[in-house]
Amino acid sequence: MSLAGRVLVLPIRLYQLTLSRIMPPSCRFAPSCSAYAIGALQKHGAVKGLWLALRRIGRCHPWGGSGYDPVP
Amino acid sequence: MTQDNRNMIVAVLMSALVLLGWTFFSEKYFPPAKPVVVASAPIAAPSATTPSATTTASPGVAAAVPGAIPVAGVVAPVGDRKAVLAASPRVIVDTPRLQGSINLKGARFDDLVMTQYRETKDKTSPPVRLLSPSPVIDAWFGQFGWAGPGVPPVDALWTASSTRLTPAAPVTLTWTSPAGVRFEQVIAVDKDFLFTVNQRVANGSAAPVNVQPWGLVSRHGEGVEKTAFNLHVGPIGVIDGTLRDSEIEYKKLQEGGAKTYATTGGWLGITEKYWLAAVIPDQKEKIDARFASAPGDQFQTDFLGVPIAVQPGKIAQTTAHFYAGAKEIKLLDGYMTSLNVPHLDLAISWGWFGFIAQPIYKLLSWLFTFTGNFGLAIICLTLIVRAALFPIANKQYESMAKMRIVAPKMKAIQERNKGDKLKAQQEMMVLYKTEKVNPLAGCLPLVLQIPIFYALYKTLLLSTEMRHQPFALWITDLSAPDPMTPLNLFGLIPWTPPAMIAIGIFPIILGVTMWLQQRMNPTPLDPVQKQVFAIMPWMFMFIMAPFAAGLQLYWIVNNLVSIAQQWFMLRKYPMPATPPEAITVKPGTVKPTSVK
Repeated sequence: MSLAGRVLVLPIRLYQLTLSRIMPPSCRFAPSCSAYAIGALQKHGAVKGLWLALRRIGRCHPWGGSGYDPVP
Repeated sequence: MTQDNRNMIVAVLMSALVLLGWTFFSEKYFPPAKPVVVASAPIAAPSATTPSATTTASPGVAAAVPGAIPVAGVVAPVGDRKAVLAASPRVIVDTPRLQGSINLKGARFDDLVMTQYRETKDKTSPPVRLLSPSPVIDAWFGQFGWAGPGVPPVDALWTASSTRLTPAAPVTLTWTSPAGVRFEQVIAVDKDFLFTVNQRVANGSAAPVNVQPWGLVSRHGEGVEKTAFNLHVGPIGVIDGTLRDSEIEYKKLQEGGAKTYATTGGWLGITEKYWLAAVIPDQKEKIDARFASAPGDQFQTDFLGVPIAVQPGKIAQTTAHFYAGAKEIKLLDGYMTSLNVPHLDLAISWGWFGFIAQPIYKLLSWLFTFTGNFGLAIICLTLIVRAALFPIANKQYESMAKMRIVAPKMKAIQERNKGDKLKAQQEMMVLYKTEKVNPLAGCLPLVLQIPIFYALYKTLLLSTEMRHQPFALWITDLSAPDPMTPLNLFGLIPWTPPAMIAIGIFPIILGVTMWLQQRMNPTPLDPVQKQVFAIMPWMFMFIMAPFAAGLQLYWIVNNLVSIAQQWFMLRKYPMPATPPEAITVKPGTVKPTSVK
């Protein structure tokens, strides 16, 4: 993984370990948006990974999709 | 050691780290409101090298480069303010909101208090002092002048046309050079915090003169307030339409040297959380803006205009403004429009979500005038924001209420697929479909709500109006932490508990409401998460304790709304009486709402 990718994964991991734990579950997908973001960054690098993660969050709303949605 | 146990230990350690780290962090960056220390007692002169009062206003610190603005402060501030104020002739400043004087030695704005803002919530306490003369500790002043040959020195003794400056009566200060060039500063003040300075040069000499107008704000020391990630304190300005704050922090100026910008118009000065002193050049004038530090903890922000050639017998003039007062959004907005100054409103450190925070601030301000009680205004504001977010939140709670009905089945799935998280999640999705349960509301609504709540938080952090505003009962200052703590039996025992454990009643209510609200959420399946959930409300109780009571009030009301909304949903979708394993889903028991 590129350095930029690593730097981006860090706050997401931090979120998973802290904020995510105190908030009620909310994600409609599996894997969850944060896990998806980490996966996308690892697989596709910083730029594309970030874009995929943002698109995933964009889909994760009451009128969006749900269910199993792995990193392409 | 099992994975769960290890996770548990990690969670507890992390919680402890957050708690302790936060305390350290908050004491460093959000020091509990201390009474403003007014240096009224004389400070003993530390050494013989300290300049005496007579040389105070000399440009002396760094030798002034020709054409540049002299550094106006002194290295080692000493002296009693009263004595310093009495040492030079002055013009009284008397407006409905400002009291003080202008130093005729230098034509310097260095003595100003804001009569409507008090140091403490006691209405008879001294007014808040904004400007203070050099060489007093925490000297803070503004000044205008000219650079070039034959201009008045920085400590020139000016002659005033009258002894009193009021909104109705401007004052003209005059200084004539030996060569016969007359320099004038016509100073006017409005009913709020704005001075207008018309700088004129009348060339009565035989030769043309070249002058460059300048304006400066100078400060000794950084003051008690510290800059933080969410609040900028120190040098500030808008240059080329862009806010400059973090790049010109006190420390950066001391370590990295002065910062200069060639620009047109804009504004610059030095700010505290609630107060600002800033110079505003003519918005059409080309200037060199500069943020600098000098030895002895001195800081200066200044602008230098382009040279103006004044022919014999001619008059040249420029007009600048000086803002000295509280950062009231209405005033800043008003001046921004009337003077055409770009982004004067950014003097308030709104942060990234200013576009949301500003309308919220205006709404809060209006609610305050409407209700007359700032606490009530906060409650109304919270209710309004929650009403606006109602559809999103409701969706969330609805799916959560339904989710808990199928929770036992979900648990069964998780147990069946202990090693394979992916398979567990896939089976869960199948369960949603067969049980006609809506999936959760999703991450986007949460992500969208973050800026709104952050903006609300900033609004309460920055509001000058919240200062010393009472709510009810024992909350007499919404901008300070709750003063009542059960630890000393609400003040009955003459003992001040250590700040970290002296939590007030508001933070306790906050913790309890948060705990209640969490109990309404579906119980987390992950045992570690369950533990974290159990600790969280009580951790937040400690984390929030040192914050302003107004902020705690907002959080409590927010929790109560959540509880009410969730309680309603839990009643709407009650747990079935039969054990969930026995349920076969009949149409109508669970309303399908997914397809829209």
